[in-house]
Amino acid sequence: MHRAARAALHDRSDPVGLTMIRRCLRCRVPLQLSSRAYGIVPPPRDSEEKDMLDQILRVDHAGEYGANRIYAGQMAVLGRSSIGPLIQEMWDQEKKHLAKFNEILAENRVRPTALLPLWNIAGFALGASSALLGKEGAMACTVAVEESISEHYNSQIRALMEKDPERYTELLQVIKEFRDDEMEHHDTGLEHDAESVPGYWLLKTAIQLGCKAAILVSQRV
Amino acid sequence: MAALLRGLRAGRALRGLGRVVAAPTATDLQSGALRRGFHCAALRLQDESKSDKHPSSSSSTYHEHYQAHHSEPGPAGGPQDNLTSDPAAEEASRANTSYQDQGGEQGEEYETEEQLQARVLTAALEFVPLHGWSMEAIAAAAETLGLSSASTGMFYNGAGDLVLHFIAQCNNQLTEILAEQHNQVQLGQAEPKKTADFLRDAVETRLRMHIPYMESWPQAMSILLLPHNIPDSLKHLSTLVDDMWYYAGDRSTDMNWYTKRAALTGIYNTTELVMLQDSSPDFQDTWNFLDNRIQDVVNMAATAKQAQATGETVVQGLMGAAVTLKNLTGLNQRR
Repeated sequence: MHRAARAALHDRSDPVGLTMIRRCLRCRVPLQLSSRAYGIVPPPRDSEEKDMLDQILRVDHAGEYGANRIYAGQMAVLGRSSIGPLIQEMWDQEKKHLAKFNEILAENRVRPTALLPLWNIAGFALGASSALLGKEGAMACTVAVEESISEHYNSQIRALMEKDPERYTELLQVIKEFRDDEMEHHDTGLEHDAESVPGYWLLKTAIQLGCKAAILVSQRV
Repeated sequence: MAALLRGLRAGRALRGLGRVVAAPTATDLQSGALRRGFHCAALRLQDESKSDKHPSSSSSTYHEHYQAHHSEPGPAGGPQDNLTSDPAAEEASRANTSYQDQGGEQGEEYETEEQLQARVLTAALEFVPLHGWSMEAIAAAAETLGLSSASTGMFYNGAGDLVLHFIAQCNNQLTEILAEQHNQVQLGQAEPKKTADFLRDAVETRLRMHIPYMESWPQAMSILLLPHNIPDSLKHLSTLVDDMWYYAGDRSTDMNWYTKRAALTGIYNTTELVMLQDSSPDFQDTWNFLDNRIQDVVNMAATAKQAQATGETVVQGLMGAAVTLKNLTGLNQRR
């Protein structure tokens, strides 16, 4: 009797799986026609997946927000110097990233992190104080921050690829694109003598430790 | 925090277990219910230990209990022993902690335990005016559904389960109503409401669902405030408020997200309290109170905006003054 019950269960659960797959397939057709059935993030199947996606989106949003504030702080100090336009250019890209994550968060009803006011102040302070060390200091800060952000994006890409690359194609594309932008900023920083600032290694390690802590906290709170 | 919640849940499961053990064993049916109670407590514990990633000591002590108990009913316990000890069958049994081995009459339909619980609790709402938010209401409902009143053993949280079920049901109902309104606005069949009016109507609709149970609602509120119910009741409250804001068209992703929800939570809770002692016809006083509170928040938001604008202007003026001063003293580097 027990075995029969289990067999019945399997019979019942299989069609569910099939319909799920079929539904996914149906979604993919309009995807290619660019009138999407859903946005960048697929509708979560269970609460576990929802938690995972929420964490990813929340921490990315917080990261872009913090990066924005860092560039704002740098611009407040170095805005009128020769390096101003370069920083402005990177800032504009970060603004686009933040706008994208704002859109994704609103669309998927993800709660933003409660620590935004903290990142607001901390980011601005970090940007402004590193810029006070001169343009090399600002670039060293950019290198450190962008390196941790792209590392963090890479680990997210790995995690999503391990789960189901087909399902998260759109989200992966967004994250990859942003990761490439951040790597570009990182290289720009190195090109502009980031390493020539005194105490470069110390500065970089300290900033990266701060970034890691911020990422850990923003995922949860 | 998470550890605390987990501990709480494990405690609840243990309590459910204790209740089942304490219940008197009499008829076959009751012992069947007992076994099932045991079974679900076991599953709960297994879930706990699974999510903890290491077997907790409580689950192993439970296992001894379980086996000791099972020596009594005899051969009937066989398949269930398999269920819990065989890890491969665990998945199956969790998906279908059903009714199948309890009696012939329900054997054909595969109803999950959650569905059965929901059915009993929904039926129990009818008995709330008579028995209050209590185990008696659940027991009466179980009897009308043709179950033994001992099946109340599956509600390890008793009255708390009943109240939480009612709240979840009302919230779902409200979400459906709001989604329907949202659709109509999008299709152009209805005029979009102002945010304040929309929220006011949403809160009123939601609170009107309490009217049939107004007599015993204070009891329900006190049950919701019991320590072990607080996590769940907070979760329901936050989803309710979040749904209201979502359908009101809020898409904020900054601190506004928090302030808006906090404000609406405050309004909802105070209005609920006012409603308790309102004796005016059709709760007119309550709705007036609600209007005023919503208006307060609208005014407050306008004031905050004004203050912010003023602050920005003042800062700009100061910056301008500083630049002028710099120019006057000849400190300006851009000559």
